Amino acid sequence: MDLEKSIMSLADARGVSGNETTAAELALSMLKYYTDDCFIKNGNVIGHFGCKGAKPHILIDAHIDQIGFTVTHITDDGFLKISGCGGIDRRLLLAQPVTVLAKKPLDGVICAIPPHLETDESKVPEMEDICVDVGLTKVSAEEFISLGDKIVFASHCAKLQGDRITGAALDDRCGVASILRALELIKNKPLHSEITVMFSTQEEVGERGAKIGAFDIEPDIAIAVDVSFALTSGDSEVKCGAMGRGCMIGFSPVLDRELSQTFKAMAENRGLPYQIEVMSGTTGTNADRFSVNKHGVKAVTLSIPLKYMHTPVEVISLSDVENTAQLIAAYITEVSA
Amino acid sequence: MTVELLEKLCMLNGASGDENRVRDFILSEISGYCEYRVDPLGNIIAEKKGKSTSSKKVMISAHMDEVGMIVTSVKSDGTLTVSPVGGIDPRVAIGRPVFVGDSDIYGVIGAKAVHNLSADEKKTAPKFDALYVDIGAEDKAAAEKLVSLGDFVHFSSEFIHFGDDFIKGKAIDDRFGCAVMIDLIKSELPYDCTFTFVVQEEVGLRGSQAAAYRVAPDFAIVLEATTAADIPLASGEKRCCELGRGAVVSYMDRSTIYDKELYGISRDIALKNGIKWQTKTMVAGGNDSGAIHISRGGIRTIAISAPCRYLHSPSCVVKLSDLEDCEKLAELMLEKMCTM
Repeated sequence: MDLEKSIMSLADARGVSGNETTAAELALSMLKYYTDDCFIKNGNVIGHFGCKGAKPHILIDAHIDQIGFTVTHITDDGFLKISGCGGIDRRLLLAQPVTVLAKKPLDGVICAIPPHLETDESKVPEMEDICVDVGLTKVSAEEFISLGDKIVFASHCAKLQGDRITGAALDDRCGVASILRALELIKNKPLHSEITVMFSTQEEVGERGAKIGAFDIEPDIAIAVDVSFALTSGDSEVKCGAMGRGCMIGFSPVLDRELSQTFKAMAENRGLPYQIEVMSGTTGTNADRFSVNKHGVKAVTLSIPLKYMHTPVEVISLSDVENTAQLIAAYITEVSA
Repeated sequence: MTVELLEKLCMLNGASGDENRVRDFILSEISGYCEYRVDPLGNIIAEKKGKSTSSKKVMISAHMDEVGMIVTSVKSDGTLTVSPVGGIDPRVAIGRPVFVGDSDIYGVIGAKAVHNLSADEKKTAPKFDALYVDIGAEDKAAAEKLVSLGDFVHFSSEFIHFGDDFIKGKAIDDRFGCAVMIDLIKSELPYDCTFTFVVQEEVGLRGSQAAAYRVAPDFAIVLEATTAADIPLASGEKRCCELGRGAVVSYMDRSTIYDKELYGISRDIALKNGIKWQTKTMVAGGNDSGAIHISRGGIRTIAISAPCRYLHSPSCVVKLSDLEDCEKLAELMLEKMCTM
């Protein structure tokens, strides 16, 4: 498995919350290298490993959806009114190129009030003032586009200096890639516990795929592999991790402290770089759902530091993804031994 | 004008003061079709022989430069601070990929995650001095190996065809004008004509000042791209001009009060020849006409512009039919001026 290629192809696949099919099918095809027992159920990609019924049953999850928009209206002159899917940063929307995932993918540009009519360059447009220019009349637009169609930033993954990668949906496709990489690392090793991998839907709109997925899977332990904030200019050093310094292990009142400590000790014993991410309540990840699944589950977050979250130019370091994969693989190996 | 030529021109990086790559490409295109020289500022002045020579000298001009940014410092975390070169709304720079320097190092203009913004920050777009370019360098030393202060920064933007004959790309302002001029130079013209591919329009109409002085024409035609606001959020006169309604000829903008007779002639010629013609419904914008029409003892000047949505952003949008109308009108205006 070429980690860089996998991350880039996963992050270039499209899958806005609620319509993750393209990205999910790609992830499923990659998961098939490691198990025949894998499928898509209710949108979630599920793969089974190890001994069925053996305890503890471990769930390893990353979300497959990405933020985007949904078409809500076509104006008389053929422009699309839109609503956000997930946390949208409206500061960067003007003149962004987008792809409308209609009957066939259509290119478009986000527009709002032009500079000669809006002299205040610090003004951030309201969502209701934003529309998408697809260069079509209303009649042609309606031929291809249905209300509810999803829209993504038209952005491609690219390499930066060193081992850094930029792209739009690295949140959380790099998490998906790190789990696949962990599976690669434990390939052919005997597993004496039950492991379920899930690439879940609708995290960006409230961890909904995680909720219904976990209900079926009924894990004893759940690991949510997601991204978290790497320090960027103007942000708080206390809140953020550092890019290139390894996986961020979550410590929070809603996470299982013993599990967090286990990961920390394991990273130390194996010489893997890691960082502690302290959160004072819920984590904003799928772990929040997992921990209260059915009668309760021990949960932890493993986060890959990422800069510029939810922009079309998110940035990660390849080494952080690799180190996160090493940590996941180490955990599975130890628990399953 | 071929769209392939426009695409090649738009994909070249050439902010004001950094037009070398655009100039080299244009020279390779026009070489063999005309006599040319490059002046001290970097303008190309091309003398094209036509079928006849007129007593009136006509200059057609377009600018090679585009809006961009320039590196002003390297921060301790390896990111680069930038200043805009030309008028860029910082809201169209945030969250975009860019190329830095002569070797086009890929970078991004990042932004603090939306999750970590205060309510006020969410409502206020950052100014240019708060933006920075991240090339992935780990620290200042790593960045300084690759980037020097004063390096130019260009938007990375795909050139795409979309919708009903629309084009989206960066630098259509004013590579569109350059493409039309290359096309005219390669064609057979009724009269001699001087073509100037000028530098530094976006930082104050500077190249055209020197070019107009040297050429000293009787008439000038400026080929440009101008703001169209034909979007749902603007109505009536606020739309300025509209895509699909043809060549834009202004009577006045913020840099020029145009020659009234030429303005009328352009409309008559367009009407007679089935060329779509429109004017702007606001006094807005400006172009090299501002420098050219007051050059020497005054030069009778007209600007023929392509209506363009999202001007000065990485996603300029124009319609093919408008570009064709501009080219046809320019050719006919040249002929008319030579017989005036």
